[in-house]
Amino acid sequence: MSSAKSTLRRRRAVTAPLDSRPTEKAETARAPTLRPSRPPPPFLLDFFPLESAEQTRLSRFYQRLREGRLSTTKCRTDGELHWPPRTACPVCHTTTLDWVDLPEEGRVYAFSAVLAGAPLGMEPDLPFVVGLVDLDGVGLRIFGRIEGAPWQACRIGQRVRVESYEAPEERVFYRFRVVDRSS
Amino acid sequence: MTERREVAIVGGVTTKFGVRPCTWSELAQEVGAALFHAVPELNASDVDSLFVGAAEPERFAFQSHVAPLAAEQMGLTPRRILQRTELACASGQSAIRSAYAAIASGLSDLAVAVGLEKMNLPSMAEANTSMACVMDRLWDGPAGATAPPFFAMVAQRHMLEFGTTEEQLAAVSEKNHRFANSNPTSQFHEKTFSKDKLLRLPLVAPPLRLGDCSSMTDGAAAVVLTSRESAQRYTQTPAWIRGTGQYSDFHNLANAGSLTEWTGLKHAAREGLRSAGIRSTDLDFAELHDCFTISEIVEYEAIGLCAPGEGGKYAEEGRSNLGGDIVVNPRGGLLGCGHPLGATGIAQAVEVYQQFSHSVPPSRQVPDPEWAMVHNLSGSANVHSVMIYSREAS
Repeated sequence: MSSAKSTLRRRRAVTAPLDSRPTEKAETARAPTLRPSRPPPPFLLDFFPLESAEQTRLSRFYQRLREGRLSTTKCRTDGELHWPPRTACPVCHTTTLDWVDLPEEGRVYAFSAVLAGAPLGMEPDLPFVVGLVDLDGVGLRIFGRIEGAPWQACRIGQRVRVESYEAPEERVFYRFRVVDRSS
Repeated sequence: MTERREVAIVGGVTTKFGVRPCTWSELAQEVGAALFHAVPELNASDVDSLFVGAAEPERFAFQSHVAPLAAEQMGLTPRRILQRTELACASGQSAIRSAYAAIASGLSDLAVAVGLEKMNLPSMAEANTSMACVMDRLWDGPAGATAPPFFAMVAQRHMLEFGTTEEQLAAVSEKNHRFANSNPTSQFHEKTFSKDKLLRLPLVAPPLRLGDCSSMTDGAAAVVLTSRESAQRYTQTPAWIRGTGQYSDFHNLANAGSLTEWTGLKHAAREGLRSAGIRSTDLDFAELHDCFTISEIVEYEAIGLCAPGEGGKYAEEGRSNLGGDIVVNPRGGLLGCGHPLGATGIAQAVEVYQQFSHSVPPSRQVPDPEWAMVHNLSGSANVHSVMIYSREAS
């Protein structure tokens, strides 16, 4: 028991800078999203992350995503905007980071489609489109699934919008949806 | 700083690559037995170190702690350095680099670098899952990021920015399959792939077709490395390691920057050539990491064989073929030989050794080669590893 307690204490101590805003700290405390009654698929054969505060110090990301907000961390010291969100800044190596919302739209920089050879659990999705999207005005180009048009109708420069969706076992993830097929 | 010893590859062997009806351990036994046949002067008791390039044995063979397993299967009892090297698709070259460092520093006198992968499983979906965890699984994984769609995006951007064509991609595949045709260890030995046939194969990740992609392959390869003092004991034609370079600047796909300008390879190639004291134009042949046709095209450009954007034309005009400026992938490449992740980098080094000793079939023998480059990328081209070999010691 005592060793479990000390692990918990240590984890809280290092998590503090990320949860530096009091309101967020309160939310983080009631974070768990996995229900013990229904065990998730084996973690090592499933690409969706474990999202609860028990498993990641970035559980805020998934909480905000549940509210429809794609967010990431920004370094309070040097202003660096990260993707993916982090717990330590890779530029100045400080750990005081703030959560910031990202733009809801962007443009496709490059895309392809997976027509065969999907990982386990993704076979029913075939064929599916993936791509790199330049989010409007923030200098971030992030990868994700693109929904709403077959790959033959997608094109570079296409406008897409970020959306969150329910992943298996009460989890949530982000993806893009085509905004206007004809533009 | 102490003097760095000169290091050479003094022999090596490649097993048959393909869909092999055997286990990981059986591949290790096979390559071990073959190595002692290929290098008759090799005594097991003299091998003081073993480096095992293996990318995903935990996934593909459900086996961890593979270095001592490989040693046992090969009949080796390392007493100085025993370790596995993992760098995804460059795991094999990592084993050679580590053996090189050990011998150059004097920590090892005689080392074996072996690479092996057993990738074909009853469930292809499971194998695809294993390949997908090379990417940033928490962020890129849930979208279904695997190698084909990533390199497809590279091809798409290259086509957009420079006008590269599907026919130019097929020219790379046709060339490498033709070389593999006369390499009995290759997965596609005695198989013919014309450009027309390649362009009719099904799309895997548009614009990439089946013939643009290297395959899931089982196979192993091993080389023996030693210092200048002992090289002549094993061979009259050592392949000397004359330079190395390596570079990595991102992992998550968001941080890739330009998809068509592989700055990591520019750095790695420049450092490799600089440390060898040569220019890219001095190279007689190169084993470049053609995991996809577009990879080889971007690599020509990043290494400096041609101008940015000219890689497609370079392939189409035969400048990377026998009789051209430089021969690229005379072994048959990953496209023609298959790509058992851990074995690939070692098999490329075996090819260098055999090219220098003129022991490959005439149809793929580079005329009187003196300098060679071996390159591996890994993951989403986010790591580039380069080695420069010469048939002469410095």
